[in-house]
Amino acid sequence: STDSVIDTQKHDCDPAFVRLRNPCTDAASLYMLSSGDVELFEVKAFEEDFHSWFVGQTVQRDGRLLFVTPMDPLYLILPCLIKSGIEGKFQPVDQVVMDEEFPACSRLLSCSRSLASLHHVAEEKEVGTLKFHRYSQEKTMNWLKKKVERTVITLKKRNICVGQGVKSTTYVRVKPQSDYQEEDYLRYAHGLISEYISEDLSKALLRHLELPELTSPKETEPPSKKRKLSDKPVEAGEDYTKFNSADFVRKPSKKMTAAQKSLAKVDKTGMKPMSSFFSPKVKAEK
Amino acid sequence: MSCNTSVIRVQASSVEQTQRVPVHLMPCEIEHNGTARVSQYLTATTKDCKHEKTVSFRGRGLRGQEISCPQGYTGLVLKEINKLGSDQEDRTVRVSSVFDKLTYWNLETPPNSDDTVVMAMDWPELAEAVSLFFSFQSSHNVCYAVS
Amino acid sequence: MELGPFETDNAVNCRLTSQIPDVCQTEDCCLGIDEAGRGPVLGPMVYGICFCPISKKDKLKELKVADSKTLTETERENLFEKLDGAKSYIGWALQILSPNTISTSMLQRTKYNLNSLSHDTAIGLVQYALDRGVQLKEVFVDTVGPADRYEDKLSKLFPGIKVTVRPKADSLFPIVSAASICAKVARDCAVKGWNFAEDLGEVDTNYGSGYPNDPKTKAWLLKYLDPVFGYPQFVRFSWSTAQTLMDSKGVTVHW
Repeated sequence: STDSVIDTQKHDCDPAFVRLRNPCTDAASLYMLSSGDVELFEVKAFEEDFHSWFVGQTVQRDGRLLFVTPMDPLYLILPCLIKSGIEGKFQPVDQVVMDEEFPACSRLLSCSRSLASLHHVAEEKEVGTLKFHRYSQEKTMNWLKKKVERTVITLKKRNICVGQGVKSTTYVRVKPQSDYQEEDYLRYAHGLISEYISEDLSKALLRHLELPELTSPKETEPPSKKRKLSDKPVEAGEDYTKFNSADFVRKPSKKMTAAQKSLAKVDKTGMKPMSSFFSPKVKAEK
Repeated sequence: MSCNTSVIRVQASSVEQTQRVPVHLMPCEIEHNGTARVSQYLTATTKDCKHEKTVSFRGRGLRGQEISCPQGYTGLVLKEINKLGSDQEDRTVRVSSVFDKLTYWNLETPPNSDDTVVMAMDWPELAEAVSLFFSFQSSHNVCYAVS
Repeated sequence: MELGPFETDNAVNCRLTSQIPDVCQTEDCCLGIDEAGRGPVLGPMVYGICFCPISKKDKLKELKVADSKTLTETERENLFEKLDGAKSYIGWALQILSPNTISTSMLQRTKYNLNSLSHDTAIGLVQYALDRGVQLKEVFVDTVGPADRYEDKLSKLFPGIKVTVRPKADSLFPIVSAASICAKVARDCAVKGWNFAEDLGEVDTNYGSGYPNDPKTKAWLLKYLDPVFGYPQFVRFSWSTAQTLMDSKGVTVHW
């Protein structure tokens, strides 16, 4: 298939993990660019404490599972457009889509649909053979709204529990609960999409969706299953802590109550942005 | 921040020839990377019951099940290729094995659809909905990978 | 002794039973309970009950049953044949606790210690006899832990039955000696003919008594230590001997 991240036909250019600025956190996250930068993928790790793999006749201490899923490069291009759009001028995108800290940023324009889809978030002007773009908040809101709508369809189709306050990082499916309101779906989808955009955009999108801001966002009530999981005796040994890339997981500090521990554990479960994956390993590993 | 400029290349040319291997996600951290007599100990003593598999590891009772990779996805096991004497920032990983399904094990708890790893398998579809182009059908053969 | 079903699957517990003699369902009976293989780090622990009408106690003595520990293996086997042959008035039942069950129970998240496991097994066997219509009036038990408390516990559970829990009951009461012989023969048989479920090829069976201080057992434990998996299911992982060896020579595992 042509969209494959790994195109076995083209041996000359391999896909690669690259670091790019995460539009939500503004910090580095791991992404993948396919052969020839044709497609962008996001990389998320599923991990739980105390897991390892057996692979064939080997053991792998690191029990993480990475999900490499296709991603719309527009999410990463958008912050560049917004930044440049402050001046309100039409500009050539190749002068805008760049980031000194993250050189791979300019490669985003090579993605097959980047240029073709810029009109979703920017006004376009053609002068001769040259194209110029200017960020449009209005267009962006409409584009994001469509994303939300599409996500809602998938959420319903997959029967995903969209109870209040559930975030994608801890999303948990509870058996058939068909009495969710449309608003629950919208909020959940908004929450998911908010992980790909800045906080400002997220708030603007909420208004655009005509969803009132929740004054006190309720904490996720960790379902019983999750609690059960955290009943496991926690014996985080010294070595374990050292092994993990330090900033990857929030480790519970030594002196925590059982309740704190279980909460911390629940928080860690699920999909994590790959900000520090493949970062230089901590010395202790050797 | 020099590490932001580093690239990790995935040497993918060998995926098709790569051997498919049984893969188990264990509910414990095993402080070791290297060989393990998995087939002699784990596979040989695993029992297939109606809705679950059972086995024990280090004297603990485990209950698990086999799950498939999300549709359209292939599991890849990536291994870093160590280039001795090279202090280049860029690194290379190769695909060391491939899997279409995995067996995950719970400590004592029977496997069910609310297990986090089962739910995680929903992620690709959700991610695609959230972040994909409107007109884009998921015909990918994307990997997810064990590091 | 035929261990039948246990040989097919020695990872789980197994109950072996004799026929219930008709006379045991009509006459008042006594029942003895003893165990074999509590201490060893290898193989199953076997619980045995033996029962007969109180009126046949003297006949039982004539069989010259004695504490199984004072007998040779052959003597025990012969005595078991005699006991099993006295089908008209002696019945027995055995509960084989597989080493895998012992490990997984003791290492369970909600700990299940060996004493509780023993008590529950003994209680289960008495209940089995009652369920099969054995007219139990007296039960004699070789002690597990503090005798008084165990005696109280059993008396409360089985009202109407006179329960006697004693240290060394197997040398005091022939019906307990008989139970002890049944248990010990089964335990030896299980260890001797152990079928390794693991794919280990030819396994050295020179594992000695199975007691942690037996040099042969120690040597075997060193020889069969796998750094990742530890041991085959034949070994009780919950024994400190096994754990110490895994800690020092195996890979560390965090749960």
